[in-house]
Amino acid sequence: MSSSPVIRVRNLHKHFGKLHVLRGIDFTVTRGEVLVMIGPSGSGKSTLLRCINFLEEYDQGEIWFGEELVGYRRNASGRLVRNRDSIVSRVRARMGMVFQSFNLFPHKTVLENVIEGPVNVKGQKRDAAIPLAKAMLDRVGLSDKFDAYPTQLSGGQQQRAAIARALAMRPEAMLFDEPTSSLDPELVGEVLEVMRGLAGDGMTMIVVTHEMGFAREAADRVMMIDHGMIVELGNPEQIFGAPAEGRTAEFLRRVRH
Amino acid sequence: MGYNWYFQVVWDYRAVFLRSAVVTGELTIGALAIGLFLGLTLGLCRSSRLGVVRWPAAFYIELFRSTPILVQLVWIYYALPILSGIQMGNVTSAAVGIGLHSAAYVAEIFRAGIKSIDRGQMDAAKSIGMRYSKAMRRIILPQAVRRMVPPFINEFATLIKLTTLGSVLAVNELLHESENLINNTYRPLEVYSALAVVFAVIIFPFIYLSQQLERYWGVRG
Repeated sequence: MSSSPVIRVRNLHKHFGKLHVLRGIDFTVTRGEVLVMIGPSGSGKSTLLRCINFLEEYDQGEIWFGEELVGYRRNASGRLVRNRDSIVSRVRARMGMVFQSFNLFPHKTVLENVIEGPVNVKGQKRDAAIPLAKAMLDRVGLSDKFDAYPTQLSGGQQQRAAIARALAMRPEAMLFDEPTSSLDPELVGEVLEVMRGLAGDGMTMIVVTHEMGFAREAADRVMMIDHGMIVELGNPEQIFGAPAEGRTAEFLRRVRH
Repeated sequence: MGYNWYFQVVWDYRAVFLRSAVVTGELTIGALAIGLFLGLTLGLCRSSRLGVVRWPAAFYIELFRSTPILVQLVWIYYALPILSGIQMGNVTSAAVGIGLHSAAYVAEIFRAGIKSIDRGQMDAAKSIGMRYSKAMRRIILPQAVRRMVPPFINEFATLIKLTTLGSVLAVNELLHESENLINNTYRPLEVYSALAVVFAVIIFPFIYLSQQLERYWGVRG
């Protein structure tokens, strides 16, 4: 396995008003790695994920995607200055994101959702984008839903379409923000299966989830976050089998019951 | 009790109604064009993150919503030429005045429509690399516009009826011509009743269209 870093987070801090939600986060994700973030709700894991593609601004520290600093640049005096929208958008286009609430575009068909990025961000010809989009939809098992509108799909189908939409941009990494949390229990499996497939194909992934089974079998490393700090970071066998920190053990005990 | 209705007078003077309905139509189209264009601009500005863009828009909207349109019209027709040297005819003044007034309300409809779209839609658009302006145009506005149709038709009906204020500037629109007609015929009840019917006939198709659109979009989600 190569170990070239894809995402590097350095001393990351973030406030919401007076609330200090991220308090000095450091980690690196290498190419092809699957990192699963766990932790109690309100611990800051979703905020951290949203900072990585700059859906949230951060106050201090650095996030590097490949060789690019996300969201900011250094001016002549070394200060961080917010980048222009066009530059921020360019780095976002290199990462895919999947949301808890799917966020498909309801006024567009499934196929239109998937070609939206390639056509309107990358400037591909519609005719060229459609075969790729269909291939992505095949991959997530939605070959028969090209012309359906999102409201006509089940939650699991919507989430799989959303994954296809992200994949159609040919991202270098995928971010999953609690992708199964708003699904009915019987639909969780089909989404996790698609994610397992992606992981198996070597996609670099960061996944925020409460699905401990998925974390145990698909993760290369598991990160436990609480109160905006990394409690511990290790391989799944260690985190689930012999957590070094009391808070991790306590959290795992609670989610298992 | 013993009033003798005489609607023949309305038929006799139908040319007056037709002629003035055209003027009302012109006022409506002019005011609507200004209201829509300026309203969209103001609505977008007021939705902006930037204070320098947001504040002037908010000031305009609240100024025009909190003062009587009659005063605004009189200002534009009588005071503006004195202050700025800009002199417009009475029809143009009325159209501009009603348009500027309407823009404030249209802006609020746009802003509410934009705000009503789930924040996740902008997140999703950004996550595939879209810039703010393109996400607005391709993702947010097309959805927002659907929700804006009912309140917008409302505003449109209000705007058509506001054109009657053109009579204050002696514009020969429906109300003004009706009043002239009453002075000649002494038949206010018949003429005013006919006036109400004319407005209803103009406005109702739009209300019907709005309901059909809502039904159509309701199906497609």
